[in-house]
Amino acid sequence: MFGLPLSTTLLVFGFPVIWIVYTIGFLYVSRDWVDSDDSQDGSA
Amino acid sequence: MNTTAVLFLGIYFSIVLGIGIWSMRIGAGKDLEGYLLGGRRVGPLVTALTLQSTSMSGYMFLGAGALGFAEGYWALWYAAGDIGGGVLNLSVIGRRMRKFSQLLTSLTSIEYLEKRYPSAAVRAIAGTLTVFLLGCYVLAQFIAGGKGLELVTGVPYWLALLIAVSIILLYTLLGGYLAVAYTDALQSVVMLIGIGWILIAALIELGGLTAANESIRSIDSTLLSVWGRGLGYEGEWGIVLGAVLIFSVGYMGWPHVVTRHLAMRRPATARQAGAYATGWNLLFVSTPYILGILAIVILPDLDDPELAIMRLAENLLPAAVTGVVMAAIMAAIMSTADSLLLQTGTVASRDLYQRFLNPGATERQMVRVSRILVLAIGVIGYYIALSEPPTVFSIVVFATSVLGSAFLPAYVCAVWWRKANTPGALGSMIAGASIAFAWEPLALVESTGWHPMLAGVFGSTIVMIVVSLATQERSPVPAEILAAMDEAARVR
Repeated sequence: MFGLPLSTTLLVFGFPVIWIVYTIGFLYVSRDWVDSDDSQDGSA
Repeated sequence: MNTTAVLFLGIYFSIVLGIGIWSMRIGAGKDLEGYLLGGRRVGPLVTALTLQSTSMSGYMFLGAGALGFAEGYWALWYAAGDIGGGVLNLSVIGRRMRKFSQLLTSLTSIEYLEKRYPSAAVRAIAGTLTVFLLGCYVLAQFIAGGKGLELVTGVPYWLALLIAVSIILLYTLLGGYLAVAYTDALQSVVMLIGIGWILIAALIELGGLTAANESIRSIDSTLLSVWGRGLGYEGEWGIVLGAVLIFSVGYMGWPHVVTRHLAMRRPATARQAGAYATGWNLLFVSTPYILGILAIVILPDLDDPELAIMRLAENLLPAAVTGVVMAAIMAAIMSTADSLLLQTGTVASRDLYQRFLNPGATERQMVRVSRILVLAIGVIGYYIALSEPPTVFSIVVFATSVLGSAFLPAYVCAVWWRKANTPGALGSMIAGASIAFAWEPLALVESTGWHPMLAGVFGSTIVMIVVSLATQERSPVPAEILAAMDEAARVR
């Protein structure tokens, strides 16, 4: 892709995909954090 | 002198000073928590942007471009880790550290370490290491700022340095952490616009990325590989792993970066901030390295690779736009320098002066002492940068490697491992700092194939585990700290 060897393509585009998946996973597992804080400090 | 660039920089400097004055007016310097942590009311977007722009520094506009120019796509190993550095930091320790630090009533990242690992020695060693290393790091930013301004304005280095240092000092002194955080947020946007503009211009010049890569292949096909020019790093996985780790997990060991967790509005702020950090990094982080690579074709006769991005801007952009780019470079330098300066002053005043010399100091006295120390560090830094300017980027790599190696296990284990105790933390900090400090001078990079950061983190982690387990009976973690850890971990 873009005239790059496969290993370089994976380095340039693969790592960002890994971090996007990590971030989505983090947002999923932390979905109850906001409610938890609200119940503790009473703020909206 | 580029008049448009100077005009744009003038406007930009006025805005950051305005933010400093505004922060002071809304009470950022009224008490110590307000001055040092912005009253713990910083929201997710500003948290993400200050975290990222503080982490990036002028290295991204000078060192990253130089690395891409010298080694081709191998340089992207650094970006590969860096893209996830923000979300990793916020997801692993952000929420727990925010909550735990408030339970322990800690206002600085070093005070937090002493309260988690109760011992005056922890604070003395961590505080001294931090003041020394952040002092070196801030010096590097001053020099980079002076050189950048000299290049744009054409004024002598001493005057350019004086202007850069004075502006950073002024808004840091006025508004403390809040001024630093909000100017960082502005600076991160300016950085994004500046770097994006050059990338578009460079790709248009070369006819797109595929055409650019074909041109690079005709010069030296190894520059397109993941192993560097002439395949110099082929099979060197210890170096590759260190390059990925330094700007991913490494951030969790930098005291001036993890302080951002303490200042968040609430623990859950880490969640949204993590998403914003990834978004910003995806847009920014790889670009300076790629620009360095594109400069191989556009500027084949470039004599100083560290100027690759600036020369690209000069060659490809109209004068008016070059002003934006130069402001972006200054923004990258200033957003790191202000945070470093504030942190160095904070640790020197709160963790060394108040803790060991004047425990009875009042909050108002401490804000004043902190300001005086920030000013003193700025003035000393100015004179060192003026008289004997050392190499900027060797200092940055040295300071960040030693910081990350010394503190990474201490900060991560503080919230995740109940058995991490005081002897373990002390041993870990000393071992990590010593290994990272000595690795290069002892030429161990060549003989082992390990990056100093990888060796330092490996050593400090092993020492933390072994010493903590071996001293559990003699030095157990106090029950109240374990209870606070449980509370910090709890999600109801």
